[in-house]
Amino acid sequence: MMKGRRREAMGLALVAPSFLFLLVFFIVPAVLLFVCSFWMAQAFKLIPAFTFDNYSRALSASGFYLLTWNALKNGLCTAVLTVGLSFPAAYFIVYRTRGNLLFYLILVSWFSSYLVRIYAWRVILGSNGLINTTLMQLGLISQPLEVLLFSPFATILTLTHIMLPFALLLLVSALRDVKKEYVEAARDLGASNTEVLTRVILPMCYKGLVGAFMFTFVISAGDFVTPQLLGGRDGMTTGILIANQFRTAGNWPFGAAMAFLLLAAFLIVYLGFVRLLDLLRLAPGRRFHD
Amino acid sequence: MVDTPKGRPFGRANLLRNDVLSRRDFLGTSLALGAGVAAGATLGAWPGPAHAAVGGDLKIMAWEGFTLDNELKAWREANKVQVDAAIISTQDDVHAKLIGSNPVRLDLAEYSQGFERFYVDELKIVKPLDIARLPNFTAANIYPEFYEAPTWYWDKTHFALPWIWGLNALVYNPAMTKPITTYKDLLAPELKGKVTFCDDTIATWPMIARLAGFGPKFPNLTKEEMKTAFEGLGPYRDQCRVFGSSNGDVISLFASGEIAACFSVWSGTPVETAKRGVKTVYAVPAEGAVMWCDAWFMPISAQNIDTAYAFMNEAVAAKAQAEVAKAVTGGAVNKHAPALMDADTRALFDYGNLPEVFRKSPLQGQPPRTSDTYATYDEWTQAWTDFKSSF
Repeated sequence: MMKGRRREAMGLALVAPSFLFLLVFFIVPAVLLFVCSFWMAQAFKLIPAFTFDNYSRALSASGFYLLTWNALKNGLCTAVLTVGLSFPAAYFIVYRTRGNLLFYLILVSWFSSYLVRIYAWRVILGSNGLINTTLMQLGLISQPLEVLLFSPFATILTLTHIMLPFALLLLVSALRDVKKEYVEAARDLGASNTEVLTRVILPMCYKGLVGAFMFTFVISAGDFVTPQLLGGRDGMTTGILIANQFRTAGNWPFGAAMAFLLLAAFLIVYLGFVRLLDLLRLAPGRRFHD
Repeated sequence: MVDTPKGRPFGRANLLRNDVLSRRDFLGTSLALGAGVAAGATLGAWPGPAHAAVGGDLKIMAWEGFTLDNELKAWREANKVQVDAAIISTQDDVHAKLIGSNPVRLDLAEYSQGFERFYVDELKIVKPLDIARLPNFTAANIYPEFYEAPTWYWDKTHFALPWIWGLNALVYNPAMTKPITTYKDLLAPELKGKVTFCDDTIATWPMIARLAGFGPKFPNLTKEEMKTAFEGLGPYRDQCRVFGSSNGDVISLFASGEIAACFSVWSGTPVETAKRGVKTVYAVPAEGAVMWCDAWFMPISAQNIDTAYAFMNEAVAAKAQAEVAKAVTGGAVNKHAPALMDADTRALFDYGNLPEVFRKSPLQGQPPRTSDTYATYDEWTQAWTDFKSSF
């Protein structure tokens, strides 16, 4: 009895610091920001009120939809590409290699800063950059390919590069929970390679898969620096609208309202993704029934 | 002399009673609710050590390159002054630290023209200056365009000390385009995809109004006039593939050969691109340029008052002016500074005929924060965002 209580107290002690940290610096500010989204503002002064004006203003602006669509496209493309590229790598690392060398080689790109990587891609993709110069020297093109830089392609490529190690880390961790014995057992029972993948591995690493997808999606869709620096004239995303309200216009309530609308869009994508996995019978709970 | 920090204690705003809250009130209350303790967030406003004379630590906030690190080095050492400089990224960074019940300690900060009434009358974050404590800032030393001009002086009160100015104008790469003499030259087919705008509203908005024929009216344009002005800018936007997010980004775009011209950007851009091996030219087209002027002001949270006055006084001394003008490719406000400049720095502006410089490139303010008649700052910001987003 005493041992159980002590263990419970120990558990609470272990959880409390991070819980308190999140409570103080995330949950409470987020709740207050939500409250603030119903307020009004005038020249950096907040006016407590209860109005839906900020939400209706955002929802009636065509620009908000267009930039949100840009953000969602960036997020979805990056998440699909990142997870698609990192899953085979994670599979290889977990099941086919004994050491972690490849894993560490991929993670090493974390050792450079985010902005440095953005500017590096500018150099690589630029009119006088590595790719264009090489292609021109090989005589394959006569003019620089302008589609490479200041385009959605540049944004998604860079975001994929930035996000890939994160997704890999999550997927390797998830796949390590799928023991080789399960895979071998499935094969012994006559499962093909595809069946092993779709009916054993993917359902068993479902949480890692959803985590990796949503993690890369949310960060990529919320990013406005990469699209601003690499996306070109039409590459702006909702983040810049929100940042403008907080920094330049001094209208926190309107910025908060847009942020929560974006959050709602993210939640819809999350529910859609989970539903898709369910329909594809890749979610746990389906695997034992059919 | 030490002033007591102004403002209410942290987190004292009453959410239920007050009908207006500043951002800092809101944040303060938020943190208090969350943590139950607000001490950490008030560190910046706690009274610092007393300074009976010039010396000690001086907390300033200025644009990068405008902190006078080199120019006032000897003065700092002689007076044992340690300058703790925070860098301004956008002007909003300054008032974000000063508004509300708990202003962060800053002994000096800068504001660009157009922020004066907003800072003094609306936000009330500026201490009036005692001009007698600035012996270098006299009518005999300072150009009349800057001395007791309405941007910094009204109601017989000096609210800030103008100390450095310059022009935001068109910059182009002569290797990529023929000389540009008017903004219309930017519409040439060969410049398709090679033009950019810098995301600097102070530098760009007045020129947008001017191109539409509303130049003298800026910053007070009606909503219709503002709309017309942005509509007229459509063809220029169509020449762009990318917007420069800052002066530095524009310099980077010039250096990598991605752009041939920038609509309106810092006049020091050619100096910076030259450091990267790319020659660019700063030109004042027929339509003129946009003048900027930075001024030191004393925030309400200033504590080391004596040193702040001494620092400002040194900033407008002729020698420091000549040196900083060279360093930032800017203009001096001190009449005696041009004589101490090298030829290139002196040639940047026509010091012999400053009234003509002002006539062609007037110092203009910013749209009103609130107005029933004119397009407000918020509306300009929205229109600018829409313009950049190609809506």
